[in-house]
Amino acid sequence: MDVFGSFTLLLAFVCAAYAFVGGIAAILTRHPLLVKSTRQAGMATCVLIFIATFSLEYLLFSDNFSQAYVVSHSNRDLSAFYKVAALWSGQEGSLLFWSFLLSIYVISVLIAYRNKNGELMPYVGVVLAGVQIFFLTLNNFVESPFKTLAAVNASGMLEPFARMDGNGLNPLLQYPEMVIHPPNLYSGYTGFTIPFAFALAALLARYPGEKWIHLTRKWTMVAWCFQSLGILLGAHWAYAVLGWGGYWGWDPVENASLLPWLTGTAFLHSVMMQEKRGMMKVWNVWLVFCTFLLCILGTFLTRSGVVSSVHAFANSHIGPWFVGFLMLTMAVCFAAYAKNRDYLKTENMLDSMISRESSFLFNNLLFLIACIAVLSGTLFPVFSEWFTNNRISVGAPFFNKVMIPIGLTILFLTGVGPLLAWRKTSADSLKRNFGWPLIVGLLCGVAAFALGYHDGASVLCLFLCGFVTWTIGMEFYRGGKVIASRTGMGLLMASHELAMRNTRRYGGYVVHFGMVLVFIGLAGAAFNTEAQKAMNIGDSMNLGKYTLVLQSADTKAEKNYTAQRMIVEVLEGNKQIMMLYPEKRQFQGTEQAAGTMVAIYSTLREDLYVVYAGMDPDTNMPVIHAFLNPLVKWIWLGGVWVVLGTLLALAPNRRAALVMAGAPQTASSAIAQALNPGVPLREGHD
Amino acid sequence: MIKAKRIVYLAVVLALAAGPIVLAQTAYSQRAKEIATKLKCMCRGCDMSAGLCAHPGGSFSGPCDTAKGMLKEVDAHLAKGESEQQIIDAFVAEYGSLVYVEPPKKGFGLVAWLMPVAYSVVGLGLLVFVVRKWAMKPPAPAVPAGTAGAAPNEALARARAQASRETED
Repeated sequence: MDVFGSFTLLLAFVCAAYAFVGGIAAILTRHPLLVKSTRQAGMATCVLIFIATFSLEYLLFSDNFSQAYVVSHSNRDLSAFYKVAALWSGQEGSLLFWSFLLSIYVISVLIAYRNKNGELMPYVGVVLAGVQIFFLTLNNFVESPFKTLAAVNASGMLEPFARMDGNGLNPLLQYPEMVIHPPNLYSGYTGFTIPFAFALAALLARYPGEKWIHLTRKWTMVAWCFQSLGILLGAHWAYAVLGWGGYWGWDPVENASLLPWLTGTAFLHSVMMQEKRGMMKVWNVWLVFCTFLLCILGTFLTRSGVVSSVHAFANSHIGPWFVGFLMLTMAVCFAAYAKNRDYLKTENMLDSMISRESSFLFNNLLFLIACIAVLSGTLFPVFSEWFTNNRISVGAPFFNKVMIPIGLTILFLTGVGPLLAWRKTSADSLKRNFGWPLIVGLLCGVAAFALGYHDGASVLCLFLCGFVTWTIGMEFYRGGKVIASRTGMGLLMASHELAMRNTRRYGGYVVHFGMVLVFIGLAGAAFNTEAQKAMNIGDSMNLGKYTLVLQSADTKAEKNYTAQRMIVEVLEGNKQIMMLYPEKRQFQGTEQAAGTMVAIYSTLREDLYVVYAGMDPDTNMPVIHAFLNPLVKWIWLGGVWVVLGTLLALAPNRRAALVMAGAPQTASSAIAQALNPGVPLREGHD
Repeated sequence: MIKAKRIVYLAVVLALAAGPIVLAQTAYSQRAKEIATKLKCMCRGCDMSAGLCAHPGGSFSGPCDTAKGMLKEVDAHLAKGESEQQIIDAFVAEYGSLVYVEPPKKGFGLVAWLMPVAYSVVGLGLLVFVVRKWAMKPPAPAVPAGTAGAAPNEALARARAQASRETED
């Protein structure tokens, strides 16, 4: 199976090379058969990569311990669930998995647009094949997942041999979320390849801007949704497994995943400027280019060991490959831009300084500043070593100080943007629109302060959360009221109808609301408290309003680990609330690696987060490490809303038959609406 | 009399026996912990601060031995009556600049702090410049959304029409 797997990978490489070279020939000659055959080569590449991936999974499932990858990342006792995850737990496998996910996107694009966009698709195919060639080069020649073990035998010859058992999967990865977090994040990373391919192809083919942007928007949203979900699941995994009481540590790998998310978010906003006003064409192309480049850069940072990180993969030799690919991609982008930049010529124009347009410009500026700040902060230790030969730490406190003001400003704009009309907003309407949201925001801020949240940034954050929530609510209320009055529906049904008629706009608001919830959760971080205590059975400790009583502590041998278990009774005052069962898992086969199973009593107000820290090395008494983390649950709730909002934004618009019945729609406006679903039924608000 | 002596004796023994436990639990002060959140745990295995070290993956998720050592060191400095800044300086002198979790606000470290400010100022300046430039242009004739900026170019119009046919979805 390993020979089969590596052979299919090699074939995939050949097919991708043909799709690339043949694709260029097809563009030059415009021969229809060549166009068709290169497209099919592109599809064949994907299918071959699928087969290779399944081959590796087969090797993992069949416990084939003659395989280096299987030995390193699996063992006999590993449950089937984690054998699937072993695919992306090591360098080689995760690179193959990368190719696999990219192939899902590529084949979807090639099939979905096989009879459409005849002018553009050959270019798209070439760009996609180019990216696939890079990853297939790594899969085939640099980090092959199909290496067999060999040993020197008695006569000095190398011969294959098989181990009895493997080393097992890193215990920190043996957690359900670790099975879904990487696929989500990788789907985000790889998904940004599609907008990149369309942008570069459109630039090369001089394809009309509105069209590629229309095609790209949906793919960007899909990738963005996966990226958001991947980041949040990663945060939740860090929270629930690592046992340090936090969810975000500004680790280089976390930062790397945030970078394309920030530029991708900027693009999803500025794309509206181009769709509605034909502005910022150059900017948008470069945002898409940068998003893709940041994905590659992020992967490079993660896997090359350039910046130190708690994440694995460090110190491998594939760094130069990524740098090379990054340089090459950048060169191609610059060359394409230099050659065809006249096609992006934009008539940029603002009717007023205070308008939706200018708020989008601010939005983009802030996202870009956020991105550059995270990037430069992450790379700063490397810079300082270059320039001063002295490594400087850039830890979480630095990022918090820099990013909190930027994040809060973005949050503020989230509320302001929808209040501003396209083109021009009068001072009068501003006053009218701002009044209530400001009052509600202030009430939230005061309430937060009264509830004991005495921290400037947090109170400001909660004030803004109230402000933004009210503006979003007003959007639904006003639109809903119009539909309700015309159709006689209830307001709630009418708001639903409103959202379904313009899914993109109201989906966007739902995403904004999700981000508000995330921000509420983040505001709680300033008030985290913790306590650690070595306890005998029956001892208790206090944390906030809770009393923790240690009921029992024991050790139990499981299939591939030994569990140190604890039963902790949680009391509030004298009332028993619940029992918590934190665990410490010591895994076999791996040296000294332990996992924590954190027990969390989660309410909207706060999380009681209890870790069995292990036996105190000095006293040999079981130690409880407990954290009280306010508002964390809101982050995960926010994540759910973000995903729901994105799904809503991706859904097709429902026809507004009832509204239009009163005012017969002209053919041209119907087409404009169909082509450009972002055009709201009422533009502006007055 | 003998009974009283015994009680005292027992109390001393108990106190001695219990001492290490009490000491182990409070091996470092809360203040030391606060200060140590600004010091990186130098075990190189956890990438956390010494004050918050939970050492993920270690057999004990509390402060690891390195972090404990650092916490005790902070306490030793505190006992000498040193201020927080003095303690941090002492650690930097001992372990190098890597030990402080933030870039120092002097020397090359200052660059890290100034960079975000510089981006913001430059970015904002550029934005204001661009907005002013764009806003000064004469208002364009009203064009339907989505076709704004269309040049009266027949080939382009044809391409657009074709594109819209092909991308209808």
